[in-house]
Amino acid sequence: MAREYDHLFKLLIIGDSGVGKSSLLLRFADNVFSGTYITTIGVDFKIRTIDINGERVKLQIWDTAGQERFRTITSTYYRGTHGVVVVYDVTSGESFANVQRWLHEIDQNCDVVNRILVGNKDDDPERKVVLTQDAQRFAERMQIQLFETSAKENKNVEEMFNAITRLVLESKRKMQDEARKQPTNTIRVGPSAAAKKKQKCC
Amino acid sequence: MFYVPLSSQPAIDITKLVQKKLGQDVICKQAVECVRIDEGKRFLRYAAIVERSREHGLFIFTSSRIPCLQSSDLSLEVIIAVDSGFRHKADYHLHLRSADKHVLLELPRLDTSTAFLTKIVSLTKDRKQTFQWLEKYRRECQVFDETDSRTSNSSNPFADDVFDPLRHVSQSQGVTQAKTAGSRQTTWYEDSTPIASQPTASNSALQPSHRSASRDSLDKSVNTYEEFTDSMESVQKQLGISWSVEFNSAEKPASSREKFVRQFLIERENEFTNVQYLKVFCGTWNVNGRSPLEPLNKWMVVDNEPPDIYAIGFQELDLSKEAFIFADSPKEAEWQDAVMSYLHPKAKYKKVKSVRLVGVLLIVYIQEKHVPNISYIDSDSVPTGIMGILGNKGGVSIRFTLYSTSLCFVNSHLAAHQDEFERRNSDYRDIMSRTRFKQFEPPLEISEHDIVFWIGDLNYRIDLPIDEVRTCIKKEMYTRLLEEDQLYGLLQASSDVFKGFEEGTPKFDPTYKFDSGTNNYDTSEKNRVPAWCDRILWRGPNVKQHRYNSHPQLRISDHKPVSSLFTVGVRVIDQKLYKKVYEDIMKHLDRLENDYLPQIKLDKTECVFKDVKFIESQSQVVTVVNIGQVPVEFEFINKLDDPTYCKPWLKATPSKHYIQAGSCCEVTVEVYVDKATVAKLNSGEEKLEDILVLHLAGGKDSFITVSGNFLSSTFGSSIEALVQMHGPIREVPVADLLEIEQPGSLNRLDIAQDGGRLYMVPKEIWKLVDFLHRNGLDKEDLFQQPGRNSEIQLIRDCLDTGKPDRIPDNLSVHSVAEALLMFLECLAQPVIPFNLYSQCMASCNNLMLSKQIVSHLPDCHKNTFLYICAFLRELLQHSAKNGLEPKFICIMFGEVMLRPPPLSTPNKGQASVKDRRSRLREEETKKSAFVYHFVSQDLNL
Repeated sequence: MAREYDHLFKLLIIGDSGVGKSSLLLRFADNVFSGTYITTIGVDFKIRTIDINGERVKLQIWDTAGQERFRTITSTYYRGTHGVVVVYDVTSGESFANVQRWLHEIDQNCDVVNRILVGNKDDDPERKVVLTQDAQRFAERMQIQLFETSAKENKNVEEMFNAITRLVLESKRKMQDEARKQPTNTIRVGPSAAAKKKQKCC
Repeated sequence: MFYVPLSSQPAIDITKLVQKKLGQDVICKQAVECVRIDEGKRFLRYAAIVERSREHGLFIFTSSRIPCLQSSDLSLEVIIAVDSGFRHKADYHLHLRSADKHVLLELPRLDTSTAFLTKIVSLTKDRKQTFQWLEKYRRECQVFDETDSRTSNSSNPFADDVFDPLRHVSQSQGVTQAKTAGSRQTTWYEDSTPIASQPTASNSALQPSHRSASRDSLDKSVNTYEEFTDSMESVQKQLGISWSVEFNSAEKPASSREKFVRQFLIERENEFTNVQYLKVFCGTWNVNGRSPLEPLNKWMVVDNEPPDIYAIGFQELDLSKEAFIFADSPKEAEWQDAVMSYLHPKAKYKKVKSVRLVGVLLIVYIQEKHVPNISYIDSDSVPTGIMGILGNKGGVSIRFTLYSTSLCFVNSHLAAHQDEFERRNSDYRDIMSRTRFKQFEPPLEISEHDIVFWIGDLNYRIDLPIDEVRTCIKKEMYTRLLEEDQLYGLLQASSDVFKGFEEGTPKFDPTYKFDSGTNNYDTSEKNRVPAWCDRILWRGPNVKQHRYNSHPQLRISDHKPVSSLFTVGVRVIDQKLYKKVYEDIMKHLDRLENDYLPQIKLDKTECVFKDVKFIESQSQVVTVVNIGQVPVEFEFINKLDDPTYCKPWLKATPSKHYIQAGSCCEVTVEVYVDKATVAKLNSGEEKLEDILVLHLAGGKDSFITVSGNFLSSTFGSSIEALVQMHGPIREVPVADLLEIEQPGSLNRLDIAQDGGRLYMVPKEIWKLVDFLHRNGLDKEDLFQQPGRNSEIQLIRDCLDTGKPDRIPDNLSVHSVAEALLMFLECLAQPVIPFNLYSQCMASCNNLMLSKQIVSHLPDCHKNTFLYICAFLRELLQHSAKNGLEPKFICIMFGEVMLRPPPLSTPNKGQASVKDRRSRLREEETKKSAFVYHFVSQDLNL
């Protein structure tokens, strides 16, 4: 019980300006939604602790400015990120078209990172222009999991963040497993090896 | 990134406060915050180790305010002398005991607590001491010390703030257990091995509630404390063990967050626990060594509904000598089988455990459906017979945890005979204090259970003459008998024996002593007085007795069996509700943590500067408001791989600052283009565009965008461009400017063909020199006195806009002189271009070589150089009046016309300041020597 957390992960939310990155974070971390739009000029974070299969995972979630002019600066915040949430707005075809660029941005700035694709503002069928099947097809091609969410209606937000956390957790497991296997494959060099050799000579 | 911890308030130095409270007569060595547990209640206290003339006392204070902020908040509650007579035991809590007092404390799991414990342990090695000085303080605290907890409770207005230990200890752990209940593997054996696996190191964090704290847990004889050595290591080991019991991973210290999680869970316990009522049947029978020849259903099946739990106790099961000497008794199997076959037919039962001590046997059965929810089964037996060793008398106990409630059943056979009242009492004390469920670390005691049932042949008698007893029995005057019943007396007078236990009123004939096989009281010559020897008692909340009977139909023994049926409420955690509450708490704490992150608001995130001019500063104010709940420290940080946080023409003041919550700070964002930055802005190589990153320590980053348009200036242009410009620079379209600023723009074909349209020297230089020529040749201190800033800005405008065409004559000569030097210094390429710099340095003392260099300069540069030199020569001719010396003037102009290329100047890290200075002086001499060739004479190139 005394543990504060079992894992600490850094997640990053990226995507075009106005797609609802901050709203998703606010909904997830503080369970609130504000209809008024305030552009994020900078990089903010919030924390949220969740339970995944009995393990306590503390998430530090970074919300970035989506505006083009900040692109070079925000790219520096990719450092040390475990998972990236790429957000588009289902009512904006342009924001969906730009997803490719954002994915490219991830490749440019991170080595190995878990990603998830999120179509936000999925709360008004009349305004929806990015069809689920199109987004799904794209997601499959890019080998990325798709979630359609609404921060406003608190739809799929928990599920989406849980999913990315699970991905990060899985990849951490995998890396740990590999690290555990590694020593058997490497050959030990150093004083002990030298000593053995000597013994043989004698 | 680092977080501001939740408890961002600086810790109050309790040690200092206690010292202040007690005055200078004594020394407070260390004081810590702790929880005192008394009568099952928890109170926040401060414990201090206080020294006077090498004697130590442990002082415990209450505080009128939590947390305590000043010494007057503190009042003394208890003092314990610390010396070799002082005993301590550390498990979940710290038990402290001196000759006359015992105190149970819980210390926070912090380093300071460990230090505190270590200190106490080391002090117990002190020899026995007098502690006369303590008396003075003792008087002060007597009021609190001697009164019961309820009184001290009311004196503490915060008593309700602290949580109930019973809930604290048992619930918080029960919660953990419940959390994993689904995954826990429960093994079940038909034999007497424990049902549930023992808590191991790996799953010890799941250990559920076993202890219910009560005063009795403190009622241990001093002897038990002897079991714990006084050595420091042992205490630390004890602590280490108990800490790891509670905490899954010992490496991670308990966080403050964890404390909150636990506390919130306790506060909201009712939201996720239900009380489930179970029927418990207790039966006790002294069978006088007989075999079960009668059917037991009359005794064991008293209700239509099957009980959930059976607890059956026998005494004098086997009176044979073999039973004393050998562990097994054939009688046990007989009675075991009998009990099993007479369990309520309407339900399926599993045996939880049975335990026998010679003739005292206890068997516990539970309905099969409850099996998955039972855990931590354990038993123990305590002989109290002859010499306190033999098992002819004594007690056996079985304990287990059902859902989140701990239950303990005790079956005892206490000392016999009318007069052995005290012996029986001491047997009780023995069983109570010596029973240890060793599966637990530290071993669990009877008193630490939520619910205890105590059954058996307790042997308490009725202190009335035999005739009167018999008469009362006949008339069913049980009240009269009860008045003189020894046990009833104990329960009425709040004795330490059977403290806290309850009993229903027996409304049946005394169960002892009958002629075997009959319902007749003893007719032998011993002529025993009938008594209620066989009793059923209980202790704990949520227990209700429905029946309490004897069963005269069973006649094989000289005792009649007694039975009782109870409903018992056990706490059951609703997994779904628990999860919901737990998640709720986590969310709440996350929100708190988020609220405590530094937060600021900027009144603007964009600074646009209009028409920025050379050497003219513009600034705007950005207000940083701390809208968070904690103080913030902001700093402008470098972005990407930039060496500084902003471009050289930009500045933010202050660049680093601390703002209290609710306050604000004004940051001045200033743009100033000086001679170092003007050239690149003029040429369009750079723009007035930058982003400031305002970083909060432990928080977010905000961006402030700075932009503006720079008005091109002749200052910072190149000679090449200037000689092509016929009109003022401001009238030249930007595109054209960029073009003529390109290197080699003079070699373009159209210009080569139209060479006549180029100025010999930049007209701006001509204008400046012309002014000086007209107004300054005879001026004293020329080039030595500084000019006026405003006038230099006027000159800049005059040169850049052509308005007025001539530099107004009313301006100060010194301003114009400075402007000339500045103009030369700002030229994108110096008069002697960068690429020839080192060559000039090398040949400065050689007239021929110097001449050669100048003659090979591009025309416009050569013309400018010679023009300036000619002007200087003329100035020197007026030296009588203006006082200029050739050496001075050559140094002055050498510096601005011969500039080292930008890349060769950076001060090499290794070079000391001294080296650099001497190198600069050397270069200065060389530059002036080079210029001197041309100033001293007209070389006619």
